[in-house]
Amino acid sequence: MKLVLFAAACLVVFATAASAETLAVDLTPDPRNPTSPQMGDNLAFHTVIRNTGAQAVDGVIAWISLVQIDKGKEQPIDLEDWSAHKAVTAASLPPGQTLATDWPMRLIQAGNYRVVVSAVSRDGTRLVASPFADFTVRQKPVVESQRVLPVALGVPLLLAGAMLLRGRKR
Amino acid sequence: MSPALLIARKEAGELLLSQRGLAWLMAMTAALSGFALLLVSNTELSLLDNAQVVYDMVGIVGALGALLAIVVGIDSTGGERERGSLVPLLLVPASREAILLGKIGGIAIAWAVMHGLALPYLWAVGSTGQNMVQGAIILALLGTPAVLGFGFLGIVLGVRLASARSGLLAGLIVLLLSASPLLLGPGLRQSAIGRAFDAVNPFSSLVNAADAAIIDSQAIVAQWDHILVAYLWLALTLWLARAGFRRIVQ
Repeated sequence: MKLVLFAAACLVVFATAASAETLAVDLTPDPRNPTSPQMGDNLAFHTVIRNTGAQAVDGVIAWISLVQIDKGKEQPIDLEDWSAHKAVTAASLPPGQTLATDWPMRLIQAGNYRVVVSAVSRDGTRLVASPFADFTVRQKPVVESQRVLPVALGVPLLLAGAMLLRGRKR
Repeated sequence: MSPALLIARKEAGELLLSQRGLAWLMAMTAALSGFALLLVSNTELSLLDNAQVVYDMVGIVGALGALLAIVVGIDSTGGERERGSLVPLLLVPASREAILLGKIGGIAIAWAVMHGLALPYLWAVGSTGQNMVQGAIILALLGTPAVLGFGFLGIVLGVRLASARSGLLAGLIVLLLSASPLLLGPGLRQSAIGRAFDAVNPFSSLVNAADAAIIDSQAIVAQWDHILVAYLWLALTLWLARAGFRRIVQ
């Protein structure tokens, strides 16, 4: 009897572990993405999460991650300014079904980046990750000194001149 | 010329033609210049998203405008009383409403001058990017009631408190608290207290509407709830200023 119970428990554990492994995540950049993006541009990535197994996978959560891969600047990037769409969930993914998601992204800083989408399920035991998608963001100076300097120096100087004139009149 | 207009001209003249008023304006523009120079001299900051820069500039102009308005408001009552010129002003053959209207006109002119001085800065940091015009409109539409409200609050504090210095201290504390959304991002104001504070704070209205219109490119008319809060604040402070000013003459 104990042997039967042990075998049943093993089957449950095996089935649970197997459910996570039945997820497959595909990641492709949008064909309309600029070929040489610069700061301020928008990129989009598409994922298709597929349940390749024979059983439904419950509680699917997928999220996007971005890391900077420049030499000496390797770091994970906080997506707060980059994207408002950071995760997608599905209560259940039936066998053979897919969950397609678009991930828009606004490029905030220059550098070399790698994006990856990860997925887990409620009963899964390991992470399923998509292939990497790499891209480079060109630098674009936003605030230009040719416009700022004349205003930043000129306006207080004008007021200082007005103060001097008032002082002399007195 | 009506007495209210005469008093408003005198108040505006003190700001635009006196050394003290010009020094205030110069301090305001020096702060804006400091921020603009920081943006171009700092590698990280100069690469900020352009909409973010416009949003930051709108917030700073709003805060400086409120500071100027509260100082002008307190000076127009508490300052005049300490200089001994308030009682003679109250004795002129003009209604108290007209005198108050003149004081309010002085604050409005101070904000108009500040707003005018801020526009070149807004252009300098934002003309290459998106939503600079929306930034200027939000500053006029929501910055005006928020800033004038602080000016009216300054009148109330100048009337009610014993000295202009006490009024200034109290006003600066209120302004610091109210302008805290400039320092605390939306994420830090998501608690029940933070949301309640945002719902009644005119400065939050300005900051949140600027965020929505400049950064998220939402329609300005969709910010009607923020606009409503700002104008309610204006009406409340105007009512308090009128009540306080009546009390000073009784």
